[in-house]
Amino acid sequence: MTMSKLEESEALHARARAFVAAFGRGEPMPEAFDALARDLADFQARWNAGYARLRAARGEAIPAVPTEVFKLARVSVFDEGETPVVFRTSGTTAAARGAHWFRTCATYDAASVAMGRVALGVSERVPVLVLGPPPAEQPDSSLVHMMARFVEAFGTAASVDETYFVRDGVMDLVALDERVTRLLMSSVRDTVVLATSLAYVHLLDALGGAKFRMPDRTRAMQTGGFKTLTRSVDGSALRRDVARAFCIDESAVVSEYGMTELSSQFWETSFVGGERNVWVEPPWARVVPVDPETLAPVANGATGIARIEDLANVDSAVAIVTADQVRRAGRGFELLGRSAGAPPRGCSIATEEMLGP
Amino acid sequence: MSGAADVRALLAAAARVARDPAIVDALVSSTGLSRENVELSLAAHLELDAPDAEIDSLVAGAGRAESVHVVLSASVFVAPLRAIALALAASDRVTVHASRREPVFARALVAALGDPRVRLVEERVVDAAEIHVYGRAETIASVRRAAGPRSIVRGHGPGLGVALVSGDFARAASLLAEDVTAFDQRGCLSPRVAYVVGDAHAFARAAADALEARAALFPRGALDPGEATDLARWTSTAAYAGTLHRGAASAVAVLDADALPPSGRHLLVRPLDSPASFLSVLGALGPFVTTVGTNLALDPVPHVRLCALGAMQRPPFDGPVDRRPPT
Repeated sequence: MTMSKLEESEALHARARAFVAAFGRGEPMPEAFDALARDLADFQARWNAGYARLRAARGEAIPAVPTEVFKLARVSVFDEGETPVVFRTSGTTAAARGAHWFRTCATYDAASVAMGRVALGVSERVPVLVLGPPPAEQPDSSLVHMMARFVEAFGTAASVDETYFVRDGVMDLVALDERVTRLLMSSVRDTVVLATSLAYVHLLDALGGAKFRMPDRTRAMQTGGFKTLTRSVDGSALRRDVARAFCIDESAVVSEYGMTELSSQFWETSFVGGERNVWVEPPWARVVPVDPETLAPVANGATGIARIEDLANVDSAVAIVTADQVRRAGRGFELLGRSAGAPPRGCSIATEEMLGP
Repeated sequence: MSGAADVRALLAAAARVARDPAIVDALVSSTGLSRENVELSLAAHLELDAPDAEIDSLVAGAGRAESVHVVLSASVFVAPLRAIALALAASDRVTVHASRREPVFARALVAALGDPRVRLVEERVVDAAEIHVYGRAETIASVRRAAGPRSIVRGHGPGLGVALVSGDFARAASLLAEDVTAFDQRGCLSPRVAYVVGDAHAFARAAADALEARAALFPRGALDPGEATDLARWTSTAAYAGTLHRGAASAVAVLDADALPPSGRHLLVRPLDSPASFLSVLGALGPFVTTVGTNLALDPVPHVRLCALGAMQRPPFDGPVDRRPPT
């Protein structure tokens, strides 16, 4: 019997979540990565004409969708009325923002929480402090959504005001200080802080070099770039400064790498014994450095742009290609910045020049 | 006092350069263009036959300066002729800094001129009365930062051409293919977008055929690494979000968005309801448009050169090639 699109989607979501569940139980994966990836690509090409055209144009079974496409086309097998959740990329105008539509966030949520729990070394509920807004304030941010799921999944009971410390773009340092003081006074040792790099910069600026002592087993998630910051900030220096301010080891400042176009995230595992500056994939996603001209995998250890295969992207794009430069290293990959390509000759305008910074 | 006679002497020097059998090989090597395209450019895009009226107009508009330093870009190898002519018309002390990537034509031209008032220099001059800089926004900004306090910097920044097409698609596509093919689309006059009133898909097919036919006569040279990188992403994006016609040496995509293709003979075709909506749909591209090639009768567009399809890469010698005010 032929399955409907919805039934097929549900079945594929269930297969993706089976990966997550097995990971959570420490069991072998339920099936081969490539088998599910191929089935997802077939499903997406069957129900999305754009992906079918890309497949035909590139002559590949699982071609990667450039992240730019999320700004120009609807990357979903479902129509707008069937996708109640949308996450948008950052940007100042609607036209410049990409959109990732979701029929269901069940797989996204399970995947995010499972990998976050491991990277942050959370085995039981801990206080979670978010240096960001509550989800109601930014419902279209995948990062805010993910942080809220972490709060739900492994945070101890606390009010919204005791959990989220940014409102209308302003960080409430008084409220944060009060919450941390209460934690210290009640001898809490384990705490998780979730924040963007930008939020940490603002916090450190506000502290002006002073310490802000946190419980001794605090881990601080650091994510995102500095798109709206007017000065350059070095990521390693930021890690060092956060660790110093919080009075924790640098290995407890853990970087997460994710993007709106994905449903899975990649983490440094330095808090749980892994290497610093190496981002590790969950078993349902993988990052493949590819040649920017051919989009074919580069030799092991060579630098390429990131092709990311994400089995949790069930209804959108099982493979995407970014402009981020990566290299396989250790148990994961290193992030080496954005690919700028060679500068074009002379006065013919480059796309990035037109779009500005 | 420099003037029209000096400019004519420069044109004569350019003609000698173009006749030099050795220049083609050198330019093939420095530009990455095919031999056929270099020969075409020397024959059809080097302004050797500029009428007196255009020369006089160029001289009249050049102004006067105690000294002029010219910083050239690598995009269009014949461009040094007009740039040096403007400088020579303005001053008796001209220094020229050729592009490191394409120094051949500028060096040959200055040598053929043999005029001590025009010298090639290896380092950029920062204290000339005027500095004329051609190229990327970063280059202009860098020259401006380094310039002395009394230097006036006239920046001619990046840009692109667009086409507005209706009616006879086969003829329009053939002419537009000539404009795209010249210099492998690397100049700031080169068309990268065609706005089409009518069946955009039909025009795209015609343009794809015309570009491939043109490539048979004038092969495309090697793509820059940056072009090749952008091309992989652009063709994938266009295939997903629009309709892509991929040829051996070109690509054309119909896509209703500002998805600017890389240079190297790649064209974005955008459907347009009517010519009246042309200016409003330029959107973010608007400030960068230098030239509009069209087969329609259009009212003048501020700071944009309007011309016929097929003439986008053949501006009058007195220009201004790029009507946008220098930055």
